[in-house]
Amino acid sequence: MMTRLSNYVFLTLAVLIVSAACLSMARSSGEDEGSTSSGRLTSISIMANLHTAQVPSDWIEKWLEERTGTQLDIQWVPDGSYDQKVYASLATGTLPQALYLKNAASLSYFRDEIRSGLFWEIGPLLADYPNLKNLKPEVLNNTSIDGKLYSLYQERALARQGIIYRKDWADRLGLSAPETLDELYEMLKGFTYNDPDNNGVDDTMGLADRNDLIYGAFKTISSYYGTPNNWGWYHDSLQPEFVFPNYMETMKFFRKLHSEGLMNEDFPITSKTDQQELFVTGKAGVYIGAMGDVLSLESRLLAHDPAAELDVHNRVLGPEGYGIWASEGYGTVILFPKSAIATEEELKKILSFYDALMSPELANLIYWGIEGTHYTVQNGKAMAVDAFELKEKDVKPYQALMVGGFSTIPGMLQPVNANKVKDKAEQLIYDNESFLIYDPTGPLESPLYNEIGVRLNEHMRDAAYQFMLGMMDEKGYEAEIDRWLEDGGRQIIEEYNASYRRTVGAYLHE
Amino acid sequence: MSETAVKTGMRKSTPKIPESGRMRRIIKNRAIYLMILPGFLYFLIFKYIPMSGLIIAFQEYQAYLGVTGSPWVGLKHFERLFTEPMFFTILGNTLLLFFLNLAFYFPVPIILALMLNEVRREVFKRFIQTLVYIPHFMSWVIIVSISFVMLSMDRGIINELMVMAGFDKINFLMSSDWFRPMYVMQVIWREAGWGTIIYLAAMAAIDPGLYEASRMDGASRFRQMWHITLPSIRSVIVVLLILKIGDVLELGFEHIYLLLNSMNRDVAEIFDTYVYTAGLKQGQFSFSTAVGFFKSLIGLILVMLANKLAKKAGEEGIY
Repeated sequence: MMTRLSNYVFLTLAVLIVSAACLSMARSSGEDEGSTSSGRLTSISIMANLHTAQVPSDWIEKWLEERTGTQLDIQWVPDGSYDQKVYASLATGTLPQALYLKNAASLSYFRDEIRSGLFWEIGPLLADYPNLKNLKPEVLNNTSIDGKLYSLYQERALARQGIIYRKDWADRLGLSAPETLDELYEMLKGFTYNDPDNNGVDDTMGLADRNDLIYGAFKTISSYYGTPNNWGWYHDSLQPEFVFPNYMETMKFFRKLHSEGLMNEDFPITSKTDQQELFVTGKAGVYIGAMGDVLSLESRLLAHDPAAELDVHNRVLGPEGYGIWASEGYGTVILFPKSAIATEEELKKILSFYDALMSPELANLIYWGIEGTHYTVQNGKAMAVDAFELKEKDVKPYQALMVGGFSTIPGMLQPVNANKVKDKAEQLIYDNESFLIYDPTGPLESPLYNEIGVRLNEHMRDAAYQFMLGMMDEKGYEAEIDRWLEDGGRQIIEEYNASYRRTVGAYLHE
Repeated sequence: MSETAVKTGMRKSTPKIPESGRMRRIIKNRAIYLMILPGFLYFLIFKYIPMSGLIIAFQEYQAYLGVTGSPWVGLKHFERLFTEPMFFTILGNTLLLFFLNLAFYFPVPIILALMLNEVRREVFKRFIQTLVYIPHFMSWVIIVSISFVMLSMDRGIINELMVMAGFDKINFLMSSDWFRPMYVMQVIWREAGWGTIIYLAAMAAIDPGLYEASRMDGASRFRQMWHITLPSIRSVIVVLLILKIGDVLELGFEHIYLLLNSMNRDVAEIFDTYVYTAGLKQGQFSFSTAVGFFKSLIGLILVMLANKLAKKAGEEGIY
């Protein structure tokens, strides 16, 4: 008897073996070429994530090689099978010299491998490189393991969350941007009951939310209530966010919205597509999520209602002042396998290449392409050429090689934003950085959490939804917390606190 | 290839025929053995050899160490499974959904096939047959999406109609009570038509003489169905039943995963969905394999039991 599950596992194994064979052949042939054609150049093998459907052109690769005096051997792996490919290379000992992981989450699965000494520690070396040392210490800290740094990171904005709302509706009802949680509530109520679209029919609602407690509206509102980001300090120990009263307040807020009909009733099972559909068809007036989405939301909304107008807002005052949860700050990381880099000399050469990649000139090259061909400069900002083919084939794939980003590379060209609201959204994303709430467990480790954490948190997520829908009361939720503690939560708390003490020790040492 | 051709071909190439009886038989019938070879290799390569991978259920498998290098941990993963607080809920859900499936879905294709068999107009019969097959070719994503659109609280047609008729809305999608009926109905809607194929084929093989004779004796259509059609397809029903039982824990991961949400998890969580979040999503291949192994064992035991029962009842069984 075979089950589907074991089928998957074995299929994976079979794929592993086949790809291992292909890989080793490909590599040995590649090495031959390198050694015969260019003996002097530093040659660097890179495995990178390909987000486009087409094979990239080598225009930019050629430029990069010329500018840095290196011979690049880039292995493009499609995004869909990236993780499998990384595991296959790992299992067969055919890792490249620079290994990009798929995303931030992949790093946590790699902790054991990193700890076992498969990768170079680069922390002590960074200070020697003029550009690499601009990488932010808070973000590097998030990518570190046991207080040691093994990777470079690719930057992501720290907090993109905010409120997108119908300016035309608010104006019609005489409402301004919600400065406090009460004003937000009043706005949602007005949008639901006061016929903001002026069509005489009761067919609108306040908030459109979706089945996501993090990237949906919930976590952002919980930040407004002053809830910690995943974990926070309670007296002298780290505790999970849901034991804080602020978290309960947030749930009560949503429970009120839901019971009064101010949001979509089905929100725990509403997909992102359906959520956006509610917003762009003029059924809902408020969307809480990534503010950058305003550009696509606006164009879809205008197609439906040319008179509509959107605005973005980020500062909502809660009981503990302003606040917004910070993401890890990195999109992915680059690791340096010892199996492919024999000596520290070689490692330093590769780091020099990445240092050069963080120079404004080369950062612009891999992000924007070649001036005149792929972008033009207007008032010191870059305007991408409006040619989809050119972007997809020449430029976009190479953006995956980026190290750092706009905030760590001074002199990197900012984009021209033709759209007013999108421009404001970008400013507010920057403004968010003045009141960030960090997740203290970013660099910390709990073995039990790695084993059963996802499962345990799923129970808490279920309980939160049940509370917000009114299927569970406060006592019931507290019982769920107790169950969480019993089922392993207590040990996870201990492990995180122990890990914190160890890591802080390591940092104070430096 | 004819028997004589094989024999003469044989004699030319190998003058000495081994004395042992079995080898002799194999060589004699080598054409037939050659024919079975692709099937044999298929099962060997894709079914039996991969089974050796089950050993990672007893290891702490790590990709960079491989199957040979990963440390052995004995029954650790099984212990984790059996001490999982939800273990009995999950086991109960899995078995209950299976029995509901068996009780409500299994008879439907038989009834449908009997009804189709009674249709006189060939054109009409073909038309209906094609129509009931179609849902089988739709993926669960589409079927679940359609039911979401219809059953939603926000703009769902059914709830809108209920409000118009003066009833309260029913939260079909986010309730523990409605999950099981919804699941079974969707299975029936998608699979019932497809399930009729084998029964219809079995019915086509029934000797028309039997019907003619019974008509002579004055049997009605219903009597014919009861005394001729059903007994004739009995063995097919039993075989399909045993095979169905073998799939006891294959309730359709995609289907249930799509229906599963925070409000119905207590009745909807099954082994497949559990192992997806608890194991695979976090790259815990060993634990996932252990759960799969456990599931397969239950399936095997049930098939053997069902087969034994079938044989006791005088049927042939599957082995």
